[in-house]
Amino acid sequence: MSETLYQHYGGFGTVSRIVIRLYDHILDDNDIGPFFEDVDMPRLIDHQTKFVASLMGGPAAFTDAHLRGAHRGLGIHNSHFDRLKELVAQTLEESGIAPDHVAELLEGIEARRQVLVEAEDA
Amino acid sequence: MIEAINEQLLRAIGVGVALVDVTTGAVRFANDTFSEWFGADRGDGAVIVGTLDVMAALEKLRTEGRHTVEVTFKSGRRSMTVAIEFNRALEEQNLAVLVCQNISRIKELESMIDSYAMMVERNTHEIRREKEQVEKLLLNLMPRSAYEEFRSFGAVVPRTFDSVSVISVDFQGFADLLAANDPASVVADLNDIFTAFDRIGQQFGCERIRTMGDSYIAVAGVPDPVGDHAAAIAGTAVRFLRFIRRRNETHQMKWPIRIGIASGSVIGSVVGVQKYVYDVFGPAVTTANKVRRSAETMTVATDLSTAALLGEGFAVIDKGDGLRILQSATE
Repeated sequence: MSETLYQHYGGFGTVSRIVIRLYDHILDDNDIGPFFEDVDMPRLIDHQTKFVASLMGGPAAFTDAHLRGAHRGLGIHNSHFDRLKELVAQTLEESGIAPDHVAELLEGIEARRQVLVEAEDA
Repeated sequence: MIEAINEQLLRAIGVGVALVDVTTGAVRFANDTFSEWFGADRGDGAVIVGTLDVMAALEKLRTEGRHTVEVTFKSGRRSMTVAIEFNRALEEQNLAVLVCQNISRIKELESMIDSYAMMVERNTHEIRREKEQVEKLLLNLMPRSAYEEFRSFGAVVPRTFDSVSVISVDFQGFADLLAANDPASVVADLNDIFTAFDRIGQQFGCERIRTMGDSYIAVAGVPDPVGDHAAAIAGTAVRFLRFIRRRNETHQMKWPIRIGIASGSVIGSVVGVQKYVYDVFGPAVTTANKVRRSAETMTVATDLSTAALLGEGFAVIDKGDGLRILQSATE
């Protein structure tokens, strides 16, 4: 079995740094921060830990149905999704993930665009 | 001068500090960090610290001396947790010192560890379940003792079993049966029959060794000794026959079974490296196959090897040439 990025970057140690950075960036962002305004901290952290671990091939798996359920009715637009990708890219770069791996991880997020985006931009 | 610098320093540090009147709860001094977090009013009103009941905390301070609480509140979009330590200042001044540390990051990390621990636990559970499934699969391929030897040492040493009994089964004209019927229904029937054989064999302590096409071989005494292995295999044989007889009465496809049994020694071992299977060979297997080939359909054939070991309960009919037909004494 080939090595996952999760293993390549030293497992949970790296994931935890990425999660905390991403948590800060997302909450500070005026475009997508408001989506998380009323989410309890433990729930948001749990969600992001699983998101990053699953993205990197770690010990979590998000099914599309699970993701769709968690984001239903939030009115996520393509522009929000694009912004999330930018913040993830920034976080990954800051965390020392190599550019080709960042691109690979972003592709993984892009593949879920239709699962999360449910309203077209006006 | 020094006092001014001290106050400046106290205002600027990342720890929230306030002096509160122990009796009224009114704030006498608050540094910038404290004011930023709690918007403290330095008038006569009691300090508002999130959902914390300050007066109750001050009461505790009066009775217990030192007192620490945690307060969680929203700061913008962020959930913030602050640990507040209440200390008595100078006794005569009736003042409490509130030292507030931002422990939000610690709380976030705790949440993350909880989340990760749950993921790992679930994964461990899944891995254990998969391991059990693999083990179950391997136990279909080999007896437990052989599996345990295989797991510990990566190989199974061939072992001789001196006194065991073997049953060998096939169906006369199986090729004709296949040609005359839909292959899928032939295979479904065969599966049904072999499953029933497994169940019957288990009741007598027999272990199925292999099937190949229409042939089925089981053994009593491998790998664990079976006291009366000849009676076990003979009992299995007559019940196989009875099962097929009854089945043939009610099913469209008739199965002309031939059964051979023999007793003696065998060698048991795992064969193969990449694709391994537990197999038994040796005189008892060879003889069982030989007498099975000589058996008439719908009979159980044996040679003296098993016949000599059988006590009451079985009738053995001498057919000459060393071949004997076995029946249940009640038939």
